[in-house]
Amino acid sequence: MALKLYDKLKHSIRYRLLRTLPGCQQTVETISQSMERSLSLEERIKLKLHLWICAWCQWYLEHLKIIRETARAKADDAPDYIAGPSLSDEARERIRRRLTNQN
Amino acid sequence: MNATQGKFPDESPDPGRWLDDHGDYLFKYAVFRLRDNTAAEDAVQETFLAALKAYKQFEGRGSGRTWLVGILKHKIVDHFRRAGREAPLGEESDEGPEHREFFERSDQWQGHWNNDYAPNEWHATPAELIERSDFWKVFNECLSPLPQRTACAFTLREVDGLKSEEICEILSIKVNNLLVMLHHARLHLRNCLELNWFRREE
Repeated sequence: MALKLYDKLKHSIRYRLLRTLPGCQQTVETISQSMERSLSLEERIKLKLHLWICAWCQWYLEHLKIIRETARAKADDAPDYIAGPSLSDEARERIRRRLTNQN
Repeated sequence: MNATQGKFPDESPDPGRWLDDHGDYLFKYAVFRLRDNTAAEDAVQETFLAALKAYKQFEGRGSGRTWLVGILKHKIVDHFRRAGREAPLGEESDEGPEHREFFERSDQWQGHWNNDYAPNEWHATPAELIERSDFWKVFNECLSPLPQRTACAFTLREVDGLKSEEICEILSIKVNNLLVMLHHARLHLRNCLELNWFRREE
């Protein structure tokens, strides 16, 4: 019985918070900004409360951190992994001529 | 030791050999950041020319490739500075897709995630992703539809780890522009990676 009451209470708090706090669209923008500057106290409180009740935005924040950590760890060996274009023969020859003239 | 990773010999410089050993690597490095083949070719050429001039100071210390990449980084930044001066960002510039559809709902929760676009759990850690070569390919492809300047700003920030203020100075943009660009890039890339990488991995 007590458990049921607790669940009801939790549900109602959650509902109220979702109605009053900034929505997800605004929150993801704040999440992105939190990676660039320090947030104001008000922004921080609203963000924490939103994250407390919203698994989607929790994941969003976690994913941005995964992207940053992965990208930075690989910054310098990235070229070996990208199947993109190599230096074209034409450009290679042009550079070779330029270098020989300098030498 | 792999010859391409090795130290330069102490004899006179051999730029033809540098081109063979490191040309492709430097080009890919530059194209990933500049997102423009011609600009990347120019940056590679300028790197070799500068290396030729500075060869005496290098004197075979450390790896030749690391040395060349160090020069290339400066050339890439020079390119962005020039481009930023030549074509300053206007007021109504394209900072990338807003993806409003991610938050379109027909019920009372308009402005919250639409179920079709809402993030899902990713079953991977950075340590695991680092090992997957095809992840970078998808990552790179996901950045392609973004406006060039937005993708470049994102790469400088999240791949090279430059500070926001440095990027604003290099690209000649205001900090508010940068924040919007990075936000749009993240929104787009996260969704694209989830669709094209994480859901396929399951």
